[in-house]
Amino acid sequence: MSRKASGLKAWALQRLTAVYVGLFSLYLLLVLLFAAPDGYAAWRAWLGGPLVSVAMLLFVLAVLLHAWIGVRDVLIDYVHPIAIRAALLGAIGLALVALGLWAAQALILVRLA
Amino acid sequence: MKFLVSRFNPDADARPYMQAFEVQVQRGMMLRDALLEIKRLDESFAFRHSCGEGVCGSDGVNVNGTNKLACITPVSELKEPVEIRPFPGRPIIRDLVVDMTQFYQQYKAVKPWLVRNDPMPEQEILQSPKDRDRLDGLYECIMCGCCSTACPSFWWNPEKFHGPQALLAAWRFLADTRDQATDERLDALEGPYKLFRCHTIMNCVEVCPKGLNPTQAIGHIKNLMLKNAV
Repeated sequence: MSRKASGLKAWALQRLTAVYVGLFSLYLLLVLLFAAPDGYAAWRAWLGGPLVSVAMLLFVLAVLLHAWIGVRDVLIDYVHPIAIRAALLGAIGLALVALGLWAAQALILVRLA
Repeated sequence: MKFLVSRFNPDADARPYMQAFEVQVQRGMMLRDALLEIKRLDESFAFRHSCGEGVCGSDGVNVNGTNKLACITPVSELKEPVEIRPFPGRPIIRDLVVDMTQFYQQYKAVKPWLVRNDPMPEQEILQSPKDRDRLDGLYECIMCGCCSTACPSFWWNPEKFHGPQALLAAWRFLADTRDQATDERLDALEGPYKLFRCHTIMNCVEVCPKGLNPTQAIGHIKNLMLKNAV
């Protein structure tokens, strides 16, 4: 399975997503500390803003991609029987896709509201 | 001085065990001298050594948990009892002697020689002093194996991951302005295993008896790959 698996692309993406996740986390922290929306309605309005919702969706995707590459690295290192590795990769991949879809659905609902 | 030495005779022992030796140490004694002394006490004890001055790279062993060259390690620096084991992660042939076949295979796999497509010149291929300086810190490797056998990534995937030694050698030829196989070399390193099993753990840097930096070399390879890809 590793014949076509990427090395450079995964490595570069891991670093790229790390930078975005780091920067956006800092932004989130600053918002929470200094400009936290007051109450549920204000949170919805903040998250429903066009810039924030897109940036948040990108953030979720970046976290999931970063997690996928990291977990894949751990499994390549430690789990050598190919069937077990494939099963674990499949299960974790599905879970990450489900999480991504769930987050996207939540953000779309907030936008529509 | 008290030494605990790992012993293993494949014909007699199910698994390695530690045997204690008391060695009379002298001023300026190196660990290799202590091992020779132990061999005098018990001639069935086996370890590799040759030049005795950190040049041949034969007597790499694991001392108190760290890979070192016995011949350039003063015993006065070591904490008692000194525990001496073979390189971790390698199949043991006998006592401190391990099978380094995979280590050499990984070295061979990076084609550690100059590749020229142009016809060979009549005389030597010229290189500016500045270009020559790029090879400092790369060519000095004596292939003792301290780095690769200290690398967890090499422990887990020694048949697929090149390991720090071979990757240092790979960068030595990528960095050489006389070499003309940059693209082929980089293509050969692609994929998740050969190069990208390195997770910048840096055990290699910590143990290299020559003070070389394989992690930095690996970083240079990754950056060059990225530069050539975008």
